[in-house]
Amino acid sequence: MKRQFSCVAAVAPFLLGVMILAGVVGCGSGNSSAPKTTVVSNTATVTASSGPNGLAGGIVNGLYVTVTVCQHGTTTCIPINNVQVDTGSVGLRLVQGTLGSVMLTPINVNGSPLEECRQYGDTSYSWGPLEFADVQIGGETASNIPVQLLGQVSAPAPSNCLTMPVNSNLPGTPPGNEDTLASLGSNGLLGIAGQIFDCGNACTTVSFTSGYPYYTCPNGTCQAVGAPTTDQAVNPVAQFSGSDNNGVMITLPSVVSSGAMSVSGTMNFGIATRSDNALGSATIYALDPCENFPTVTFNGISYTDTFCNGTGSGLGGFLDTGSNAFYISDANTLKSSGVSGISDCASSTGGSGFYCVTGGVTTLSPVNFVGFGGVGSANISLNINDATTLFSTSNSLFNDLGSDSVSGGTPSTDFWDLGLPFFLGRTVFVGIAGTAMPAGVNAPNGFVAF
Amino acid sequence: MSRKANRDLSFSAGLQGGILSHYAKTILSALLVLVLVSVPVWAGLGQPEASVTSDQLHMKSEHRVQDFQAYKVHELTNTEGAVVREYVSPEGTVFGITWHGRSTPDMNQLLGNYVNNFETATRDQTHILPRRGITIKTNDFAYTNFCRMGVCSGSAYAPKLLPGSVTVEVMR
Repeated sequence: MKRQFSCVAAVAPFLLGVMILAGVVGCGSGNSSAPKTTVVSNTATVTASSGPNGLAGGIVNGLYVTVTVCQHGTTTCIPINNVQVDTGSVGLRLVQGTLGSVMLTPINVNGSPLEECRQYGDTSYSWGPLEFADVQIGGETASNIPVQLLGQVSAPAPSNCLTMPVNSNLPGTPPGNEDTLASLGSNGLLGIAGQIFDCGNACTTVSFTSGYPYYTCPNGTCQAVGAPTTDQAVNPVAQFSGSDNNGVMITLPSVVSSGAMSVSGTMNFGIATRSDNALGSATIYALDPCENFPTVTFNGISYTDTFCNGTGSGLGGFLDTGSNAFYISDANTLKSSGVSGISDCASSTGGSGFYCVTGGVTTLSPVNFVGFGGVGSANISLNINDATTLFSTSNSLFNDLGSDSVSGGTPSTDFWDLGLPFFLGRTVFVGIAGTAMPAGVNAPNGFVAF
Repeated sequence: MSRKANRDLSFSAGLQGGILSHYAKTILSALLVLVLVSVPVWAGLGQPEASVTSDQLHMKSEHRVQDFQAYKVHELTNTEGAVVREYVSPEGTVFGITWHGRSTPDMNQLLGNYVNNFETATRDQTHILPRRGITIKTNDFAYTNFCRMGVCSGSAYAPKLLPGSVTVEVMR
């Protein structure tokens, strides 16, 4: 079984923990005469593993959290575990059946439900209506925000959205429409990338056609519609009431090079808003307008975000919990830059699709990541292990799983995607553009820090 | 790669009204008529150079041509921020395409008949980065695409159509 998908694990105990915490906070003041100030917990437990479908689901290196969704303004709520934490997208999207009997508030445009269609880079897609809900994570609440209900629409996804033919090897019915636990590998996606809206002003009117996300489908025929930002899929963290809404801090323990079944860590909300989310000694790296490190250099070869400066299709580098491996450079380029022993695993082997390594774990160091405008420069050391060996274990979490960024690519098209393996053994901050930056931070497009 | 010293940059025609002079609009009208009567059914990869015009019309884009020694690049840019480059052999065949923009451009248009290779690729020929990207490699067809944070970039080419002196590195 190829382990292509990144996803989740069964988690419920920490939810209980959160509830207890919230309960203590809510009831704790007792006889005190001091004015009541509610201090909510800003911490959620996260689990890194193969997710709710286990290894049989073919997923490794996913990160999951519990999200509680409530009918707006009521205590009619349902906790939804195994929602994948994705720092590479924006918006909360839930698979069918996760809401139980909780009814959300439909969003209508011109009298029809507002539907969103997002095709992902692998040709799979999210398709379904947006509805308003109160969303709680840890002790934090985002009130009345749009949440996407995957699959809850009868019309097929619009062709203007599906600009790529959908690959028939993908799960889902039809293939690529991943709107169930079985096909998505999680109960939903929690997109908490470093921006507030998933489209923003470009979608308040229908300003483009190819890949446009918002539609209404009266009588089963879908047409593109403008959606005010208040109706668009949104980063729930940016909508938290209170001040813990400028980003997240994710802390995960390290694992050994042969991997682990799963580990638990924490996701704190807010950056430098209270004592448990201080930047401390972390270095801040400003991101470019495309949310990337503009330049990555390894062994004398530079990988540049030429997309963002309009001169090419390179993407530089970035951090992404939604990527299940180090998708970095490509095997030929690594070889030509003096790295011996890393190759694409043969298609007949268990590690097919990932890097195989001869001669044991190979360390790539230093890999230089430079922030936008020179704000932050890091020399990173990455380990790459043999994927076929890793997959011969019963583990589902690896800190040294790698693959081509572009299979058969070149330095001008390749990039350095530091996926979930990078987050193991680290504390990583993701700062949201357009929110209150921590004091002294110069990062108009958002930042990461580690 | 070898670039001709006297690289020829010729601006041909755009379809966005706001940026066109009256003169260009006149030329454009003529071009549109020409295009409407001569658009091949299939455009893009593996098709004649003339099919680029049909892609240009489909994308509502500006069109710029760069001449290199062993190939030509037709660059299509539209106001939606999409950029498509089509690489044309001396024999006049589109052998490769690259793109970047807010989404992937319409591959049913740009892949020409190779859209069949895309749809019939087997699991062994397909490398999926969950939700982020896909790479397809067969003897006749190579395709890669990656999207994140509302930005997509990728390339497709037909290895057997590559001119002898051209390597995939020229495509960016």
